[in-house]
Amino acid sequence: MNIYPEKKKILIIDDESGFTEMVKLNLEATGKYLVRCENNGMRAVDAAQEYQPDLILLDIIMPETDGTDICWRIKEQEELQTVPVVFLTATVRKNEVEAQHGDIGGYAFLAKPTTVEELTECIESHLNPNS
Amino acid sequence: MDKVFQHNTDRIADFTRTLNVLIIENNPVDCAMLSGMLSKSTFGSFRLKGTDSLNQSFKILAEGTWDVVLLDLNLKDSSGLKTLHQLHDQFPRIAIVVNTGVYQDSLGLKAITCGAQDYLIKGKYKSYGLVKALYYAVERKRAEEELKAAYNRLKEAQSQLIQVEKMTVIGGLASGIAHEVKNPLATILYGVEFLTTKLTETDDQIQLTLKSIREATQKANDIIKDLLDFASLSKLNIVPESINTVIEHSLNFTKHQCDKTGIRLEKFFANNLPPVPIDKNRIEQVIVDLILNAILAMPDGGLITIRTLSKKFEISDLAGSQIDSRRFQPGEDIVIVEIDDTGSGINEENLAKVFDPFFTTRRAAGGVGLGLSIAKTIINSHNAIILLTNYDRGTRARIIFKTGLDT
Repeated sequence: MNIYPEKKKILIIDDESGFTEMVKLNLEATGKYLVRCENNGMRAVDAAQEYQPDLILLDIIMPETDGTDICWRIKEQEELQTVPVVFLTATVRKNEVEAQHGDIGGYAFLAKPTTVEELTECIESHLNPNS
Repeated sequence: MDKVFQHNTDRIADFTRTLNVLIIENNPVDCAMLSGMLSKSTFGSFRLKGTDSLNQSFKILAEGTWDVVLLDLNLKDSSGLKTLHQLHDQFPRIAIVVNTGVYQDSLGLKAITCGAQDYLIKGKYKSYGLVKALYYAVERKRAEEELKAAYNRLKEAQSQLIQVEKMTVIGGLASGIAHEVKNPLATILYGVEFLTTKLTETDDQIQLTLKSIREATQKANDIIKDLLDFASLSKLNIVPESINTVIEHSLNFTKHQCDKTGIRLEKFFANNLPPVPIDKNRIEQVIVDLILNAILAMPDGGLITIRTLSKKFEISDLAGSQIDSRRFQPGEDIVIVEIDDTGSGINEENLAKVFDPFFTTRRAAGGVGLGLSIAKTIINSHNAIILLTNYDRGTRARIIFKTGLDT
Protein backbone atom coordinates (compact mmCIF):
# COMPACT_ATOMS: atom_id res chain seq x y z
CA MET A 1 0.00 0.00 0.00
CA ASN A 2 1.23 3.46 -0.88
CA ILE A 3 1.23 5.52 2.30
CA TYR A 4 2.13 8.62 0.27
CA PRO A 5 -0.52 8.39 -2.46
CA GLU A 6 0.77 11.54 -4.16
CA LYS A 7 4.14 9.89 -4.77
CA LYS A 8 4.73 7.53 -7.68
CA LYS A 9 6.17 4.13 -6.90
CA ILE A 10 9.21 3.18 -8.96
CA LEU A 11 10.71 -0.29 -8.92
CA ILE A 12 14.28 -0.51 -10.14
CA ILE A 13 15.66 -3.91 -11.08
CA ASP A 14 19.42 -3.93 -11.59
CA ASP A 15 22.17 -6.15 -10.21
CA GLU A 16 24.42 -3.18 -9.32
CA SER A 17 23.35 -2.29 -5.81
CA GLY A 18 25.47 0.87 -5.79
CA PHE A 19 23.66 2.06 -8.88
CA THR A 20 20.15 1.27 -7.63
CA GLU A 21 20.92 3.01 -4.31
CA MET A 22 22.01 6.14 -6.16
CA VAL A 23 18.87 6.09 -8.31
CA LYS A 24 16.79 5.70 -5.15
CA LEU A 25 18.56 8.56 -3.35
CA ASN A 26 18.24 10.94 -6.30
CA LEU A 27 14.65 10.10 -7.19
CA GLU A 28 13.42 10.23 -3.60
CA ALA A 29 15.26 13.54 -3.09
CA THR A 30 12.94 15.08 -5.70
CA GLY A 31 10.04 14.38 -3.32
CA LYS A 32 7.99 12.93 -6.18
CA TYR A 33 8.83 9.25 -5.96
CA LEU A 34 9.10 6.23 -3.71
CA VAL A 35 11.73 3.80 -4.92
CA ARG A 36 12.27 0.13 -4.23
CA CYS A 37 15.47 -1.57 -5.37
CA GLU A 38 15.70 -5.18 -6.44
CA ASN A 39 19.22 -6.44 -7.18
CA ASN A 40 18.31 -10.06 -7.78
CA GLY A 41 16.88 -10.59 -11.23
CA MET A 42 15.31 -13.89 -10.17
CA ARG A 43 13.22 -12.02 -7.61
CA ALA A 44 12.09 -9.31 -10.03
CA VAL A 45 8.59 -10.61 -10.76
CA ASP A 46 7.87 -11.28 -7.07
CA ALA A 47 9.09 -7.82 -6.19
CA ALA A 48 6.84 -6.27 -8.84
CA GLN A 49 3.80 -8.22 -7.64
CA GLU A 50 4.49 -7.26 -4.05
CA TYR A 51 5.24 -3.58 -4.67
CA GLN A 52 2.68 -2.85 -7.43
CA PRO A 53 4.84 -0.04 -8.89
CA ASP A 54 3.66 2.77 -11.17
CA LEU A 55 6.74 2.27 -13.35
CA ILE A 56 9.58 -0.23 -13.58
CA LEU A 57 13.18 0.64 -14.44
CA LEU A 58 14.82 -2.49 -15.76
CA ASP A 59 18.43 -3.36 -16.56
CA ILE A 60 18.97 -5.69 -19.51
CA ILE A 61 22.09 -7.63 -18.68
CA MET A 62 22.11 -9.26 -15.28
CA PRO A 63 24.02 -12.31 -14.03
CA GLU A 64 21.25 -14.90 -13.64
CA THR A 65 18.69 -13.64 -16.05
CA ASP A 66 17.95 -11.28 -18.89
CA GLY A 67 16.01 -8.03 -18.58
CA THR A 68 13.89 -8.67 -21.65
CA ASP A 69 12.93 -12.04 -20.20
CA ILE A 70 11.93 -10.40 -16.92
CA CYS A 71 9.89 -7.91 -18.90
CA TRP A 72 7.91 -10.72 -20.60
CA ARG A 73 7.32 -12.45 -17.29
CA ILE A 74 6.10 -9.22 -15.67
CA LYS A 75 3.77 -8.55 -18.58
CA GLU A 76 2.31 -12.02 -18.13
CA GLN A 77 0.91 -10.93 -14.75
CA GLU A 78 -2.53 -9.49 -15.29
CA GLU A 79 -2.22 -6.77 -12.62
CA LEU A 80 1.14 -5.64 -14.03
CA GLN A 81 0.24 -5.59 -17.72
CA THR A 82 -0.27 -1.82 -17.90
CA VAL A 83 2.75 -0.88 -15.79
CA PRO A 84 5.21 0.96 -18.03
CA VAL A 85 8.69 -0.53 -18.25
CA VAL A 86 11.74 1.60 -19.07
CA PHE A 87 14.92 -0.24 -19.93
CA LEU A 88 17.89 1.41 -18.31
CA THR A 89 20.97 -0.11 -19.81
CA ALA A 90 24.61 0.35 -20.66
CA THR A 91 24.42 -1.94 -23.68
CA VAL A 92 23.05 0.71 -26.03
CA ARG A 93 24.48 4.10 -26.68
CA LYS A 94 22.79 7.46 -26.30
CA ASN A 95 22.85 8.26 -30.01
CA GLU A 96 21.35 4.88 -30.84
CA VAL A 97 18.52 5.56 -28.41
CA GLU A 98 18.02 9.04 -29.82
CA ALA A 99 18.01 7.70 -33.35
CA GLN A 100 15.14 5.43 -32.29
CA HIS A 101 13.40 8.27 -30.39
CA GLY A 102 13.98 6.45 -27.11
CA ASP A 103 11.96 3.50 -28.26
CA ILE A 104 13.28 0.07 -29.23
CA GLY A 105 10.81 -2.68 -30.04
CA GLY A 106 7.99 -0.70 -28.47
CA TYR A 107 9.80 -0.23 -25.17
CA ALA A 108 11.36 2.88 -23.73
CA PHE A 109 15.12 2.90 -23.39
CA LEU A 110 17.54 5.06 -21.45
CA ALA A 111 21.26 4.62 -22.09
CA LYS A 112 23.44 4.65 -18.98
CA PRO A 113 24.85 6.90 -17.79
CA THR A 114 22.18 9.59 -17.78
CA THR A 115 21.73 12.67 -15.66
CA VAL A 116 19.09 12.64 -12.94
CA GLU A 117 17.16 15.19 -14.98
CA GLU A 118 17.07 12.91 -18.04
CA LEU A 119 15.95 10.05 -15.83
CA THR A 120 13.07 11.98 -14.24
CA GLU A 121 11.99 13.39 -17.61
CA CYS A 122 11.87 9.88 -19.00
CA ILE A 123 9.92 8.58 -16.01
CA GLU A 124 7.39 11.43 -16.22
CA SER A 125 6.81 10.91 -19.91
CA HIS A 126 6.11 7.21 -19.48
CA LEU A 127 3.98 7.19 -16.32
CA ASN A 128 0.35 6.35 -17.01
CA PRO A 129 -1.62 9.58 -16.54
CA ASN A 130 -4.28 7.87 -14.43
CA SER A 131 -1.98 5.70 -12.29
CA MET B 1 56.95 -17.15 -93.87
CA ASP B 2 56.89 -19.93 -91.32
CA LYS B 3 53.36 -21.29 -91.21
CA VAL B 4 53.49 -22.03 -87.53
CA PHE B 5 53.93 -18.36 -86.69
CA GLN B 6 51.72 -17.00 -89.38
CA HIS B 7 48.68 -18.88 -88.14
CA ASN B 8 49.42 -18.75 -84.49
CA THR B 9 46.53 -16.92 -82.83
CA ASP B 10 47.57 -18.06 -79.38
CA ARG B 11 48.09 -14.96 -77.16
CA ILE B 12 51.36 -16.40 -75.85
CA ALA B 13 53.13 -15.69 -79.11
CA ASP B 14 50.99 -13.47 -81.25
CA PHE B 15 53.70 -12.52 -83.72
CA THR B 16 51.27 -10.55 -85.88
CA ARG B 17 51.10 -7.65 -83.45
CA THR B 18 53.48 -4.74 -84.11
CA LEU B 19 55.88 -4.25 -81.23
CA ASN B 20 57.24 -0.84 -80.29
CA VAL B 21 60.89 -1.49 -79.57
CA LEU B 22 63.37 0.98 -78.12
CA ILE B 23 66.98 0.01 -78.76
CA ILE B 24 69.31 1.46 -76.16
CA GLU B 25 72.72 0.72 -77.60
CA ASN B 26 76.13 2.29 -77.09
CA ASN B 27 77.62 1.02 -80.31
CA PRO B 28 76.11 2.59 -83.48
CA VAL B 29 77.21 -0.41 -85.54
CA ASP B 30 75.36 -2.81 -83.22
CA CYS B 31 72.35 -0.55 -83.30
CA ALA B 32 72.26 -0.53 -87.09
CA MET B 33 72.68 -4.30 -87.12
CA LEU B 34 69.77 -4.85 -84.70
CA SER B 35 67.54 -2.51 -86.69
CA GLY B 36 68.43 -4.33 -89.85
CA MET B 37 67.75 -7.75 -88.37
CA LEU B 38 64.35 -6.71 -87.07
CA SER B 39 63.14 -4.71 -90.03
CA LYS B 40 64.19 -7.39 -92.49
CA SER B 41 62.79 -10.26 -90.44
CA THR B 42 60.28 -12.38 -92.34
CA PHE B 43 57.99 -12.65 -89.30
CA GLY B 44 57.04 -10.24 -86.62
CA SER B 45 56.48 -6.53 -87.10
CA PHE B 46 58.35 -3.75 -85.35
CA ARG B 47 58.37 -0.02 -84.87
CA LEU B 48 61.92 0.88 -83.90
CA LYS B 49 63.73 3.76 -82.30
CA GLY B 50 67.28 3.93 -81.00
CA THR B 51 69.28 5.92 -78.50
CA ASP B 52 72.76 5.62 -77.03
CA SER B 53 72.04 7.25 -73.66
CA LEU B 54 70.08 6.05 -70.66
CA ASN B 55 68.93 9.55 -69.76
CA GLN B 56 67.70 10.10 -73.29
CA SER B 57 65.86 6.78 -73.16
CA PHE B 58 63.94 7.93 -70.05
CA LYS B 59 62.56 10.87 -72.02
CA ILE B 60 61.63 8.73 -75.01
CA LEU B 61 59.96 6.07 -72.85
CA ALA B 62 58.00 8.66 -70.87
CA GLU B 63 56.59 10.21 -74.04
CA GLY B 64 55.41 7.20 -76.01
CA THR B 65 53.93 3.76 -75.64
CA TRP B 66 56.60 1.09 -75.65
CA ASP B 67 56.39 -2.69 -75.47
CA VAL B 68 59.97 -3.71 -75.02
CA VAL B 69 63.47 -2.30 -74.60
CA LEU B 70 66.60 -3.90 -76.02
CA LEU B 71 69.18 -2.77 -73.51
CA ASP B 72 72.92 -2.62 -73.77
CA LEU B 73 74.28 -2.54 -70.21
CA ASN B 74 77.35 -0.44 -70.97
CA LEU B 75 76.35 3.01 -72.14
CA LYS B 76 78.08 6.35 -72.08
CA ASP B 77 76.09 7.49 -69.02
CA SER B 78 75.71 4.21 -67.14
CA SER B 79 77.32 0.80 -67.02
CA GLY B 80 76.74 -2.75 -65.80
CA LEU B 81 73.69 -3.92 -63.89
CA LYS B 82 73.21 -0.36 -62.63
CA THR B 83 71.86 0.47 -66.09
CA LEU B 84 69.21 -2.22 -65.76
CA HIS B 85 68.37 -1.18 -62.20
CA GLN B 86 67.81 2.43 -63.15
CA LEU B 87 65.68 1.62 -66.16
CA HIS B 88 63.60 -0.94 -64.29
CA ASP B 89 63.05 1.44 -61.35
CA GLN B 90 61.84 4.20 -63.66
CA PHE B 91 59.69 2.01 -65.91
CA PRO B 92 58.74 -1.12 -64.02
CA ARG B 93 56.04 -2.07 -66.52
CA ILE B 94 58.15 -2.18 -69.67
CA ALA B 95 59.66 -5.51 -70.74
CA ILE B 96 63.45 -5.34 -70.88
CA VAL B 97 65.67 -7.64 -72.89
CA VAL B 98 69.33 -7.19 -72.02
CA ASN B 99 71.59 -7.30 -75.06
CA THR B 100 75.25 -7.16 -74.21
CA GLY B 101 78.67 -8.17 -75.38
CA VAL B 102 79.77 -9.45 -72.01
CA TYR B 103 79.43 -13.19 -71.84
CA GLN B 104 79.00 -14.27 -68.27
CA ASP B 105 76.36 -16.73 -67.01
CA SER B 106 76.17 -15.27 -63.51
CA LEU B 107 75.53 -11.78 -64.91
CA GLY B 108 72.72 -13.17 -67.06
CA LEU B 109 71.01 -14.77 -64.08
CA LYS B 110 71.47 -11.60 -62.06
CA ALA B 111 69.87 -9.56 -64.85
CA ILE B 112 66.81 -11.83 -64.80
CA THR B 113 66.59 -11.52 -61.01
CA CYS B 114 66.76 -7.75 -61.40
CA GLY B 115 63.71 -7.62 -63.64
CA ALA B 116 64.98 -8.32 -67.16
CA GLN B 117 62.93 -10.75 -69.25
CA ASP B 118 65.88 -12.15 -71.16
CA TYR B 119 69.65 -11.85 -71.53
CA LEU B 120 71.08 -11.97 -75.01
CA ILE B 121 74.76 -12.08 -75.95
CA LYS B 122 75.64 -10.02 -79.01
CA GLY B 123 76.61 -12.19 -81.96
CA LYS B 124 75.18 -15.33 -80.39
CA TYR B 125 71.73 -15.14 -81.94
CA LYS B 126 70.15 -14.88 -85.32
CA SER B 127 67.11 -12.95 -86.50
CA TYR B 128 64.64 -15.66 -85.45
CA GLY B 129 66.10 -15.91 -81.96
CA LEU B 130 65.95 -12.15 -81.50
CA VAL B 131 62.34 -11.81 -82.71
CA LYS B 132 61.27 -14.72 -80.54
CA ALA B 133 63.06 -13.24 -77.53
CA LEU B 134 61.29 -9.90 -77.98
CA TYR B 135 57.80 -11.33 -78.45
CA TYR B 136 58.23 -13.79 -75.60
CA ALA B 137 59.59 -11.04 -73.36
CA VAL B 138 56.49 -8.91 -73.97
CA GLU B 139 54.19 -11.83 -73.24
CA ARG B 140 56.14 -12.88 -70.15
CA LYS B 141 56.01 -9.32 -68.88
CA ARG B 142 52.26 -9.16 -69.48
CA ALA B 143 51.77 -12.42 -67.59
CA GLU B 144 54.01 -11.15 -64.81
CA GLU B 145 51.97 -7.95 -64.54
CA GLU B 146 48.74 -9.93 -64.41
CA LEU B 147 50.17 -12.11 -61.70
CA LYS B 148 51.31 -9.05 -59.79
CA ALA B 149 47.87 -7.48 -60.09
CA ALA B 150 46.23 -10.70 -58.90
CA TYR B 151 48.70 -10.87 -56.02
CA ASN B 152 47.92 -7.27 -55.08
CA ARG B 153 44.19 -7.95 -55.17
CA LEU B 154 44.73 -10.97 -52.96
CA LYS B 155 46.85 -8.95 -50.57
CA GLU B 156 44.22 -6.22 -50.46
CA ALA B 157 41.48 -8.78 -49.77
CA GLN B 158 43.63 -10.35 -47.07
CA SER B 159 44.27 -7.03 -45.36
CA GLN B 160 40.57 -6.23 -45.53
CA LEU B 161 39.80 -9.60 -43.93
CA ILE B 162 42.34 -8.94 -41.21
CA GLN B 163 40.82 -5.51 -40.68
CA VAL B 164 37.31 -6.95 -40.39
CA GLU B 165 38.54 -9.62 -37.99
CA LYS B 166 40.36 -6.98 -35.95
CA MET B 167 37.26 -4.80 -35.81
CA THR B 168 35.17 -7.77 -34.71
CA VAL B 169 37.57 -8.53 -31.88
CA ILE B 170 37.83 -4.88 -30.84
CA GLY B 171 34.05 -4.59 -31.15
CA GLY B 172 33.43 -7.50 -28.82
CA LEU B 173 36.02 -6.27 -26.38
CA ALA B 174 34.81 -2.67 -26.51
CA SER B 175 31.15 -3.44 -25.95
CA GLY B 176 32.09 -5.78 -23.10
CA ILE B 177 34.25 -3.12 -21.49
CA ALA B 178 31.68 -0.44 -22.21
CA HIS B 179 28.96 -2.29 -20.33
CA GLU B 180 31.20 -3.05 -17.38
CA VAL B 181 32.56 0.48 -17.15
CA LYS B 182 29.37 2.38 -17.87
CA ASN B 183 27.58 0.85 -14.90
CA PRO B 184 30.03 2.14 -12.30
CA LEU B 185 30.19 5.46 -14.20
CA ALA B 186 26.42 5.77 -13.93
CA THR B 187 26.66 5.10 -10.21
CA ILE B 188 29.40 7.72 -9.77
CA LEU B 189 27.46 10.31 -11.79
CA TYR B 190 24.24 9.83 -9.82
CA GLY B 191 26.25 9.85 -6.59
CA VAL B 192 27.92 13.13 -7.50
CA GLU B 193 24.62 14.67 -8.56
CA PHE B 194 23.06 13.70 -5.27
CA LEU B 195 25.97 15.11 -3.28
CA THR B 196 25.91 18.29 -5.35
CA THR B 197 22.27 18.93 -4.47
CA LYS B 198 22.85 18.10 -0.79
CA LEU B 199 26.07 20.08 -0.31
CA THR B 200 25.00 23.42 -1.75
CA GLU B 201 25.93 25.33 1.41
CA THR B 202 29.46 23.97 1.77
CA ASP B 203 32.76 25.55 0.88
CA ASP B 204 34.32 26.06 -2.54
CA GLN B 205 36.77 23.19 -2.16
CA ILE B 206 33.98 20.64 -1.87
CA GLN B 207 32.15 22.16 -4.84
CA LEU B 208 35.38 22.09 -6.83
CA THR B 209 35.96 18.44 -5.89
CA LEU B 210 32.45 17.47 -6.97
CA LYS B 211 32.86 19.37 -10.22
CA SER B 212 36.17 17.62 -10.95
CA ILE B 213 34.67 14.19 -10.26
CA ARG B 214 31.73 14.95 -12.51
CA GLU B 215 33.94 16.15 -15.36
CA ALA B 216 36.33 13.23 -15.04
CA THR B 217 33.45 10.78 -15.13
CA GLN B 218 31.98 12.49 -18.15
CA LYS B 219 35.36 12.32 -19.87
CA ALA B 220 35.69 8.61 -19.14
CA ASN B 221 32.24 8.15 -20.60
CA ASP B 222 33.20 10.07 -23.74
CA ILE B 223 36.20 7.81 -24.25
CA ILE B 224 34.03 4.74 -23.92
CA LYS B 225 31.66 6.25 -26.44
CA ASP B 226 34.51 6.89 -28.90
CA LEU B 227 35.75 3.36 -28.44
CA LEU B 228 32.30 2.01 -29.21
CA ASP B 229 32.09 4.25 -32.27
CA PHE B 230 35.43 2.93 -33.38
CA ALA B 231 34.29 -0.63 -32.88
CA SER B 232 30.84 -0.52 -34.41
CA LEU B 233 31.97 0.33 -37.93
CA SER B 234 31.28 -3.10 -39.31
CA LYS B 235 27.58 -2.23 -39.42
CA LEU B 236 27.33 0.38 -42.16
CA ASN B 237 24.07 1.43 -43.72
CA ILE B 238 25.21 2.31 -47.25
CA VAL B 239 22.73 4.29 -49.36
CA PRO B 240 23.36 6.63 -52.33
CA GLU B 241 23.28 10.15 -50.88
CA SER B 242 23.86 13.72 -51.99
CA ILE B 243 27.18 14.62 -50.45
CA ASN B 244 26.29 18.35 -50.52
CA THR B 245 23.22 17.68 -48.36
CA VAL B 246 25.27 15.59 -45.95
CA ILE B 247 27.80 18.42 -45.59
CA GLU B 248 25.04 21.02 -45.10
CA HIS B 249 23.64 18.86 -42.33
CA SER B 250 27.07 18.52 -40.70
CA LEU B 251 27.42 22.31 -40.78
CA ASN B 252 24.34 22.63 -38.54
CA PHE B 253 26.34 20.90 -35.82
CA THR B 254 29.41 23.10 -36.19
CA LYS B 255 27.77 26.47 -36.90
CA HIS B 256 27.73 27.47 -33.26
CA GLN B 257 31.45 26.69 -32.83
CA CYS B 258 32.31 28.64 -35.97
CA ASP B 259 30.31 31.68 -34.88
CA LYS B 260 31.80 31.58 -31.40
CA THR B 261 35.38 31.59 -32.67
CA GLY B 262 34.81 34.17 -35.42
CA ILE B 263 35.58 31.76 -38.25
CA ARG B 264 34.18 32.42 -41.69
CA LEU B 265 32.91 29.66 -43.91
CA GLU B 266 32.92 29.54 -47.70
CA LYS B 267 31.24 26.84 -49.70
CA PHE B 268 31.92 25.89 -53.29
CA PHE B 269 29.53 23.03 -53.95
CA ALA B 270 29.39 21.54 -57.43
CA ASN B 271 25.90 21.24 -58.86
CA ASN B 272 24.64 17.95 -60.25
CA LEU B 273 27.08 15.78 -58.29
CA PRO B 274 26.34 12.10 -58.74
CA PRO B 275 25.00 10.44 -55.57
CA VAL B 276 27.66 8.77 -53.45
CA PRO B 277 27.06 5.41 -51.73
CA ILE B 278 27.70 6.17 -48.05
CA ASP B 279 26.46 5.70 -44.52
CA LYS B 280 25.19 9.25 -44.05
CA ASN B 281 25.54 9.32 -40.26
CA ARG B 282 29.12 8.09 -40.37
CA ILE B 283 30.21 10.52 -43.05
CA GLU B 284 28.52 13.35 -41.17
CA GLN B 285 30.57 12.33 -38.16
CA VAL B 286 33.77 12.54 -40.24
CA ILE B 287 32.90 15.95 -41.71
CA VAL B 288 31.97 17.36 -38.30
CA ASP B 289 35.25 16.06 -36.93
CA LEU B 290 37.29 17.61 -39.75
CA ILE B 291 35.53 20.96 -39.33
CA LEU B 292 36.07 20.90 -35.56
CA ASN B 293 39.76 20.15 -36.17
CA ALA B 294 39.92 23.09 -38.58
CA ILE B 295 38.31 25.33 -35.96
CA LEU B 296 40.79 24.19 -33.32
CA ALA B 297 43.66 24.93 -35.72
CA MET B 298 42.55 28.58 -35.92
CA PRO B 299 42.20 29.91 -32.36
CA ASP B 300 42.45 33.47 -33.66
CA GLY B 301 39.80 33.07 -36.32
CA GLY B 302 40.22 32.40 -40.01
CA LEU B 303 38.51 30.88 -43.01
CA ILE B 304 37.18 27.39 -43.67
CA THR B 305 36.61 26.59 -47.33
CA ILE B 306 34.54 23.55 -48.26
CA ARG B 307 34.57 22.35 -51.83
CA THR B 308 32.85 19.48 -53.61
CA LEU B 309 33.47 18.32 -57.16
CA SER B 310 33.15 15.29 -59.37
CA LYS B 311 35.78 14.14 -61.84
CA LYS B 312 37.71 11.18 -63.18
CA PHE B 313 40.31 9.81 -60.81
CA GLU B 314 43.99 10.62 -61.50
CA ILE B 315 47.00 9.72 -59.40
CA SER B 316 47.59 13.47 -58.91
CA ASP B 317 44.35 13.61 -56.87
CA LEU B 318 46.36 12.01 -54.10
CA ALA B 319 48.38 15.24 -53.87
CA GLY B 320 51.73 13.53 -53.55
CA SER B 321 50.55 11.48 -50.59
CA GLN B 322 52.12 8.04 -50.26
CA ILE B 323 48.70 6.56 -49.66
CA ASP B 324 47.93 3.16 -51.16
CA SER B 325 45.70 3.97 -54.13
CA ARG B 326 45.14 0.52 -55.60
CA ARG B 327 41.47 0.76 -54.71
CA PHE B 328 41.11 3.50 -57.34
CA GLN B 329 41.63 3.11 -61.07
CA PRO B 330 42.65 6.13 -63.14
CA GLY B 331 39.60 7.32 -65.08
CA GLU B 332 37.15 6.03 -62.49
CA ASP B 333 34.30 8.43 -61.53
CA ILE B 334 34.91 10.05 -58.16
CA VAL B 335 33.53 12.78 -55.92
CA ILE B 336 35.99 14.88 -53.92
CA VAL B 337 35.27 16.78 -50.73
CA GLU B 338 37.87 19.29 -49.55
CA ILE B 339 37.96 21.16 -46.27
CA ASP B 340 40.66 23.84 -46.09
CA ASP B 341 41.61 25.87 -43.06
CA THR B 342 43.90 28.86 -42.78
CA GLY B 343 45.63 27.62 -39.62
CA SER B 344 49.26 26.95 -38.92
CA GLY B 345 49.36 23.65 -40.81
CA ILE B 346 50.69 20.33 -39.52
CA ASN B 347 54.42 19.72 -39.30
CA GLU B 348 55.83 16.98 -41.54
CA GLU B 349 56.65 14.66 -38.66
CA ASN B 350 53.13 14.79 -37.26
CA LEU B 351 51.52 14.55 -40.69
CA ALA B 352 52.53 10.90 -40.82
CA LYS B 353 50.95 10.19 -37.44
CA VAL B 354 47.71 12.16 -37.42
CA PHE B 355 45.61 9.09 -38.23
CA ASP B 356 47.21 6.88 -35.56
CA PRO B 357 44.89 5.98 -32.68
CA PHE B 358 45.61 8.03 -29.55
CA PHE B 359 47.92 10.45 -31.37
CA THR B 360 47.05 14.03 -30.43
CA THR B 361 48.81 17.38 -30.23
CA ARG B 362 46.12 18.55 -27.82
CA ARG B 363 46.66 16.07 -25.02
CA ALA B 364 47.05 18.91 -22.51
CA ALA B 365 43.75 20.39 -23.64
CA GLY B 366 42.02 17.07 -23.13
CA GLY B 367 42.39 15.56 -26.62
CA VAL B 368 42.16 11.78 -26.66
CA GLY B 369 43.43 11.28 -30.20
CA LEU B 370 40.69 9.06 -31.55
CA GLY B 371 38.91 11.57 -33.81
CA LEU B 372 40.99 11.24 -36.97
CA SER B 373 41.68 7.54 -36.53
CA ILE B 374 37.94 6.96 -36.34
CA ALA B 375 37.49 9.23 -39.36
CA LYS B 376 40.04 7.19 -41.29
CA THR B 377 38.45 3.89 -40.28
CA ILE B 378 35.07 5.18 -41.40
CA ILE B 379 36.47 6.41 -44.71
CA ASN B 380 38.35 3.14 -45.30
CA SER B 381 35.23 1.14 -44.64
CA HIS B 382 33.58 3.15 -47.43
CA ASN B 383 36.40 2.16 -49.78
CA ALA B 384 37.20 5.86 -49.96
CA ILE B 385 40.42 7.75 -49.27
CA ILE B 386 41.12 10.51 -46.76
CA LEU B 387 44.28 12.57 -46.85
CA LEU B 388 45.62 15.55 -44.97
CA THR B 389 48.13 17.82 -46.64
CA ASN B 390 49.50 21.27 -46.03
CA TYR B 391 48.76 23.83 -48.72
CA ASP B 392 50.06 27.40 -48.94
CA ARG B 393 47.55 28.79 -46.42
CA GLY B 394 47.04 25.96 -43.95
CA THR B 395 45.83 22.36 -43.84
CA ARG B 396 43.69 20.67 -46.47
CA ALA B 397 41.61 17.57 -45.73
CA ARG B 398 40.51 15.73 -48.85
CA ILE B 399 38.11 12.81 -49.08
CA ILE B 400 37.80 10.89 -52.32
CA PHE B 401 34.66 8.80 -52.80
CA LYS B 402 33.85 6.30 -55.50
CA THR B 403 30.48 6.95 -57.10
CA GLY B 404 30.02 3.32 -58.15
CA LEU B 405 28.14 1.01 -55.81
CA ASP B 406 30.93 -1.51 -55.36
CA THR B 407 31.78 -0.73 -51.76
